[in-house]
Amino acid sequence: MNRLLALILAAAMALPAQVTFDRLLNAASDPGNWITYSGSYRGWRYSELNQIDKSNVNGLQLEWVHQMPTTLMVEATPLVVDGVMYVSEPPSNVVAMDARTGSVYWRYRRALPTPINTCCGDVNRGVAVLGDRVYVGTVDAHLVALDAKTGSVVWDVPVADRMRGYSMTGAPLIVKDMVITGVAGGEYGIRGFLDAYDAKTGKLRWRFWTIPGPGEANHETWKGDSWKTGGGSTWVTGSYDAAQNLIIWGTGNPSPDWNGDSRPGNNLYSDSAIALDADTGKLKWHFQFIPHDLHDWDAVQVPVLVDDTWHGQPKKLVYWAHRGGFFYVLDRETGKFLFGTPFAKQTWAKGLDDSGHPDLLPNTEPTPEGTYLWPGVQGATNWYSPSYNPGTKLFYLSYWENRSVYRKGEQEYTPGNRYIGSVPDIDLKDDPGHGGIRALNPRTGERVWDYPLQTKPWAGVLSTAGGVLFGGSDEGYIFALDAATGHELWRKNLGGIIRANPITYTINGRQMVSIAAGSSIFTFALPGAAR
Amino acid sequence: MRTLVILFATFLFAAAAAAQSDLTNAIPEHNPRTSAADVAAGRETFHSHCSPCHGYNGEGGIGANLAAGYFYHGSTDDDLYRNITQGIPGTEMPGLFYNGDRVWQIVAFIRSLHQPDVKPPGDAARGAAVYKSSGCAGCHRVNGAGGSLGPDLSDVGGFRSAAYLKESVLTPDASVPRKYWIASFDDASGQHVRGFVQNEDTYTIQIVDLKMQLHSYDKSSLKNFRIEKKSAMPSYSGRLTDEQVQDLVAYLWTLRPSETLSSEKLR
Repeated sequence: MNRLLALILAAAMALPAQVTFDRLLNAASDPGNWITYSGSYRGWRYSELNQIDKSNVNGLQLEWVHQMPTTLMVEATPLVVDGVMYVSEPPSNVVAMDARTGSVYWRYRRALPTPINTCCGDVNRGVAVLGDRVYVGTVDAHLVALDAKTGSVVWDVPVADRMRGYSMTGAPLIVKDMVITGVAGGEYGIRGFLDAYDAKTGKLRWRFWTIPGPGEANHETWKGDSWKTGGGSTWVTGSYDAAQNLIIWGTGNPSPDWNGDSRPGNNLYSDSAIALDADTGKLKWHFQFIPHDLHDWDAVQVPVLVDDTWHGQPKKLVYWAHRGGFFYVLDRETGKFLFGTPFAKQTWAKGLDDSGHPDLLPNTEPTPEGTYLWPGVQGATNWYSPSYNPGTKLFYLSYWENRSVYRKGEQEYTPGNRYIGSVPDIDLKDDPGHGGIRALNPRTGERVWDYPLQTKPWAGVLSTAGGVLFGGSDEGYIFALDAATGHELWRKNLGGIIRANPITYTINGRQMVSIAAGSSIFTFALPGAAR
Repeated sequence: MRTLVILFATFLFAAAAAAQSDLTNAIPEHNPRTSAADVAAGRETFHSHCSPCHGYNGEGGIGANLAAGYFYHGSTDDDLYRNITQGIPGTEMPGLFYNGDRVWQIVAFIRSLHQPDVKPPGDAARGAAVYKSSGCAGCHRVNGAGGSLGPDLSDVGGFRSAAYLKESVLTPDASVPRKYWIASFDDASGQHVRGFVQNEDTYTIQIVDLKMQLHSYDKSSLKNFRIEKKSAMPSYSGRLTDEQVQDLVAYLWTLRPSETLSSEKLR
């Protein structure tokens, strides 16, 4: 009998523990795992792990490589749950691996219809895990629940119509027993929304339209039928404020991107931070970074939620470095603007007024002849994750200093086709600009340090209690910087473009760092630590 | 009832098969829309949908150069049609949901970007002799023969106009591709180095020097680093007669690609 009990116990121990909502709520204090896109609901991409620190990070060695059978760009953040890594492979596949060795348990291959309608590559930025299920959004705009042990499909629900330009590229966010997912398609004249699905059944719980329809508040910020094709996509994973039960999420550009003639008005809730009641999907507050955007400067950044004092008073804050080049601090209870200042070169606004809205400079609208502006179309930052480190109290981000030529064109809407109203010169061949990693004092916007790169990075950053900041570049290097000074501590050429966010976790007490480069996941650790 | 179900199922199957057939077999082999008006309409669609990646005049950017007349993923009219409507799997090229005439007009516009130019004046045979006697082969290679400091000219007539070729002979600095910019610096041993930048990142630079030796440096070890956006080729203005230049251009214009494409030609 004892033997039987022992067998049962052994079997139970061999099974990965389930990811519960409670575990997700406390993810920050479970740094051995990386169980949600940003590492925790706060959106910090920060880890309490300190085995790898400033003094030893230059000893990191390659542990394993997982090569994906794809030539598509890998933008995924892996998740690690009790020794199992779950990561999406583009376009919409998922693989589960032993995070110690990179050995594959299973792979889900999604059969995709043609044509697929993504603006900027058939990519995927990651999965979500709850219970014994793994959730992935697909480029044909379905949400799929997979069995975490086998990869078999538990349910598969259509979220939107791909033939109208919808796709899904972002990692879902689990809140309570729901899977929260956004959509992409801001270059196709979609009407954006954020959805919550029952994690067990796939049934839609609620939908929040980011472009309000007739009878809804702020519908008047659109003219005529322009709201039907108003964009406002939701393609980057948001954050969750458990104390207020608020989902905080960023929205994309209004459509068409570079010609606003058909959509006079502020075009709410495009280019906004939105805060939704997690149970109902009702809007609690919003803050629009750029009313009536004409430059495709989506607010699709990960909201960074910090509790700190503000002018001597305890305050729930949101830190947000927006694509247009300004860093913002918002009041998380009201959405009220508290502070904002540029974090990179910009030539479109004199500054921000008391409400946080931009005071526009003249002659900054796209024209048929072209208007040169900083930042460029891809923004002063973009979807890749920033990091907040409670040790240094600094906000870190990958930034760009470059410009584009913004042109205005005419375009009719037709379902499923690009609806952008322009031909911008995104990257000027004779003036490509550059980028780098920057540390900001979020209380003042001061640029504390700068790590310039020859090229413009599309990779996010991760900071740790070891005082280390990890990042990557289009040049193919992963690097580790001193989080306090920006001094380079270590770098390694991985031989492939890095357009993903790094993570860290432990295997048998040993700290690992993983990041996607080229079509592979690379994992590093210090030699000699416990195996 | 059962018969009705079978009949209905048969109908569905046939309808599905017909739809499938529409997608795969109904594409004409040749573009049915090639008028000047079609090209103009195609230009409009191209500018609003394709230019962000392929450049305003198809010269390439994130996406491939479409003006060179070569296409990696099939170069027949129906290949182009299929790639535009369905996208190219494994690349960032998405499918365009238009079909029919509007896509054919884009194909017409793309074709218009690469018109075989009119044979330039001059005597190609005499031009070949000028090429040989003027030392061009010291730096340039044609079909495997010659030097390698300058661009391989084996098929230059296929993707450069006569006007461009003439300009390159007389004013080489007018258009210098990035890979022929010259870096100059002092290396860690104090030696002065000049060479073409093959690649460069934040930390390192790779060059081939003017003696065709490869070097890779850590940038932090270099001093007096400069990039000259000038051509290493001397101008032949005043060194060749107008007639010789005309003959040389006529010769270069005859250099055409073989069936095997190299990536060099597609830049």
